[in-house]
Amino acid sequence: MPNKKTQQSSRSAGALLADLIDLSLVLDSDQEVDLEERKRRDRAAGRRLECWRNKPVAQVRAWLHESRPKAAGNYGQQGVRVYHGLNVGLLVAGLLSGWGLASAVLYYDGQQPINIVNAVAVLVLPQILLLLLWLVAALPARLSLFRQLGTGLGFLNPGRLAGHLVGVFTSKPEQGLAMLWQSDNAPILGPATRWLLSLWSQLFAVSFNIGVLVSALFLVSFSDLAFAWSTTLVVTSETFHQLLVTLSAPWSSLLPDAVPGAELVAQSRYYRLDEGALADPAATPELAIALGQWWPFLIAAVAFYGLLPRLLTLTISWYRLRHHLGRALCKLPGAPELLARMNSPLVSTAAAEPEHAFTLAPGSAARNSAAAHYALRCPVIDWSAAGSAAGDAGDVSSALAAMGVEPLEFLRAGGRQTLEQDQQMLAALARDKPAALALLVKAWEPPMLDLLDFLRDIRQQLGEEKPLLVLLWGGAEQVSGADRETWQLTLGQLGDPNLHVESLALASRAVEKKGASQ
Amino acid sequence: MSTPEFAIVGHPNKGKSSIVSTLSEDKSVAISMVPGTTVDNRRYPMTVDGEVLYELIDTPGFQRARAALEWMQGHASSAVERPATVQRFVDEHRGDPRFSAECHLLAPILAGAGILYVVDGSRPFGEDYEAEMEILRWTGQPSLALINMIGDSDYSAEWSRALGQYFRIVRVFDALQADFDKRIQLLLAFGEIREEWRAPLAKAVQFLTDEQQRRRSLAARVIAEMLVHMITHQARRRLATGEAEALAETQTRDKLLDSYKQDLATMERHCRDEVEQIYNHGQLQRQEAQVQLLDEDLFSRQTWVLFGLTRRQLIATGALGGAAAGGIIDLAAHGTSLLLGSGLGALAGGVSAWLTADRIANIEVLGHPLGGQEVSVGPMRNINFPYVALGRALLHQRLVEQRTHANRGPLDIDGPGAAWQFSDSATRRQFEKLFAKLRKGESLQADLVDTLATLIEKQFSSRPDAGA
Repeated sequence: MPNKKTQQSSRSAGALLADLIDLSLVLDSDQEVDLEERKRRDRAAGRRLECWRNKPVAQVRAWLHESRPKAAGNYGQQGVRVYHGLNVGLLVAGLLSGWGLASAVLYYDGQQPINIVNAVAVLVLPQILLLLLWLVAALPARLSLFRQLGTGLGFLNPGRLAGHLVGVFTSKPEQGLAMLWQSDNAPILGPATRWLLSLWSQLFAVSFNIGVLVSALFLVSFSDLAFAWSTTLVVTSETFHQLLVTLSAPWSSLLPDAVPGAELVAQSRYYRLDEGALADPAATPELAIALGQWWPFLIAAVAFYGLLPRLLTLTISWYRLRHHLGRALCKLPGAPELLARMNSPLVSTAAAEPEHAFTLAPGSAARNSAAAHYALRCPVIDWSAAGSAAGDAGDVSSALAAMGVEPLEFLRAGGRQTLEQDQQMLAALARDKPAALALLVKAWEPPMLDLLDFLRDIRQQLGEEKPLLVLLWGGAEQVSGADRETWQLTLGQLGDPNLHVESLALASRAVEKKGASQ
Repeated sequence: MSTPEFAIVGHPNKGKSSIVSTLSEDKSVAISMVPGTTVDNRRYPMTVDGEVLYELIDTPGFQRARAALEWMQGHASSAVERPATVQRFVDEHRGDPRFSAECHLLAPILAGAGILYVVDGSRPFGEDYEAEMEILRWTGQPSLALINMIGDSDYSAEWSRALGQYFRIVRVFDALQADFDKRIQLLLAFGEIREEWRAPLAKAVQFLTDEQQRRRSLAARVIAEMLVHMITHQARRRLATGEAEALAETQTRDKLLDSYKQDLATMERHCRDEVEQIYNHGQLQRQEAQVQLLDEDLFSRQTWVLFGLTRRQLIATGALGGAAAGGIIDLAAHGTSLLLGSGLGALAGGVSAWLTADRIANIEVLGHPLGGQEVSVGPMRNINFPYVALGRALLHQRLVEQRTHANRGPLDIDGPGAAWQFSDSATRRQFEKLFAKLRKGESLQADLVDTLATLIEKQFSSRPDAGA
């Protein structure tokens, strides 16, 4: 069963980011571990974490929490600290910007009223425009036009600026939050990076709107603001009122007092030349109170067109970031393999124990005559019917003749002969006391202990001094170098100085060549 | 039900170890031309999460079969006694160095293992095999004969006739060339020698088939990741202050091009290493040529400033800043300036950004330069490059997948005429769509690697003939 700590893995973006950074490092260093070892280790972990088999993100994180103590450094936590620091920085920057801008727009020194058209143009309309831009950026990048627009406008994003800051002031970009901006990681981390930038820009926007609202409320509470509206364009009060009603539609039913009335609009019109109703000294006390009543509209406009949509986009960005961080966790190089190792049965076909192989001592090869031509008249023993295998007796005879070996007689041993028959044959041979002996063997068959026993018996019966010629017969083919080497190496183990290994077919060809050259 | 066990027996040097190595995918099996390399039994259990489904036992080859058979013939008076006589032979000669090989190889058979008798079908049959085949017949255990084709000649028909007299089932199997399907067919054939082994072997085959599918998925993913990295890769170098003028441009280019080529070669090598590891072929020696660049001119040079912005982006940012400053003037003038403030501010901001870009580039903050000159190589825009890289990767994967673990030679990837032919134009179009996205820098789609991997995996299954 998973432990308590694992069960409580936070789903916050920060915790996911920390895990992403750490997992990337752990998987990278894991490449050094032997694959078989990884298979065993991860399958065991997979069985312990069986309950999350269908939740790869949770399973990978649980695996990481088990492995993390082994990983050097604490880059995940460091990365999260940078992330949180940037969050706070953007929050403060947004608050100050919002406060500053609202203070500038709502500046009133008693000389000229605040033009509500200006206020809306600065505090509300850009918000709507920027919100549309966010929508463009948030759209899937499949639409070419939107993609180009998004890329083109990307550098205006305060979140992207924060991303650049991470890169500039990080000493090891591959080991911290900056890994998100590394081009090699783009295919896997790109979507998460995109939503992290979005999260940061929305955080800035939310705090900016809060700054605007706090500043506006502060000015409304602690100073006497007078609003009016003025435009060079030919717009009647009715038309302007209608425009404001339309603009107030989102909150008209919820906050009817925040919808400017037709009377207020008419009263608030301001002309620079005649100064409008504001110039009438008799109406000033009531009008001054009325002109101050624009603030609910302005606050509502900022809240409904600025703060609330930004809270929504912030939430969306946060969820999308979490989603893509989770996805990235399972797509990091090595992570799909890790999941496969955890969730697939461990299939093994290899040996359980190391091999105990026998090796020949070096430099023990039997001698191979350089001349490859003898003047011998001796009996030839045909071992395991080598002479009749894949050829005919005529071939063997001519090959022997080419080598200068004249068979006195052909004897049989090995194969279907019994051991007793072999011994009887050798005993009879010993009585004849031949000057030398040739043994015809199949070159393609390995020299087995059965044959080595027979060679020792020959020495026992005939003595150590007599030349013993082991003739390799290739049958229908030439004797291969590998076969010849095998025979030389194996017979070399006998340590017999009078034992020679020759390749029959090769000797025959050599004689032919010699004849041709003459 | 007992776990199926199979003793691989036969003459020395006839490919027993090759067959075991191929079936067990184990490169640690000693394969040597010198007879008697295998001196002890070695077990290769096929396990699934620790559960043994079957077991192969590599044994030493017969060394004194005639002598052993003569002993047995001398101690058995009837056919009924033969298995017991073989058992008695092993019991009495255990520890006798003369019959060490025979005792080792017969022990698991007498304990119930099936016999897999291996001969070399590329060499002629001989009477020296008869004694060992007779001994195996005496054990009374279920058996199957495998004709292993080690060389080019073919004596399989002759062998089949001879083996048919001793073994009920005779199969031809090339341990060096057998692909996965042939290995699976052979395992299923093992099930034919005893009815009760059929089910566990079928179960084992299912696990091995699933494992093979997993390997393909993993290999496809590794190749997809390599392609994405190769296509989008860019080698950059920021020039130090003064270096831009001091260094000949061509010199810098050559260095950067070398670095870029090395990067691509490393990516390919890394991918090949991973694919080989997936198929248990780690540390494989390869004969390979480096991937060739297909683009003539991959260079670009630009000024970067402040947080990686290009000069163009800096101008846009400057213009925006100027417009914002001008906007405040417009606000102060209550619109009477007719947005002239914004317009002029944007112009002034843009122009000053253009003029000061180089100066900003020379400033350092906390040891970090705010800008400079940068040269870059890549990414590769040539439309044929991804196909070249993909073709090489597919060819390599196929060679690795088909390669048996008995094959100890180097892997020749770029042999004469080696090339990958795509199965059809529709597949090529699908690849082209993905490659086009990568070339356009649309690599930020989370599912792009997955889609590419799926498409590559389909190529594994389609298996068109390579041009080799």
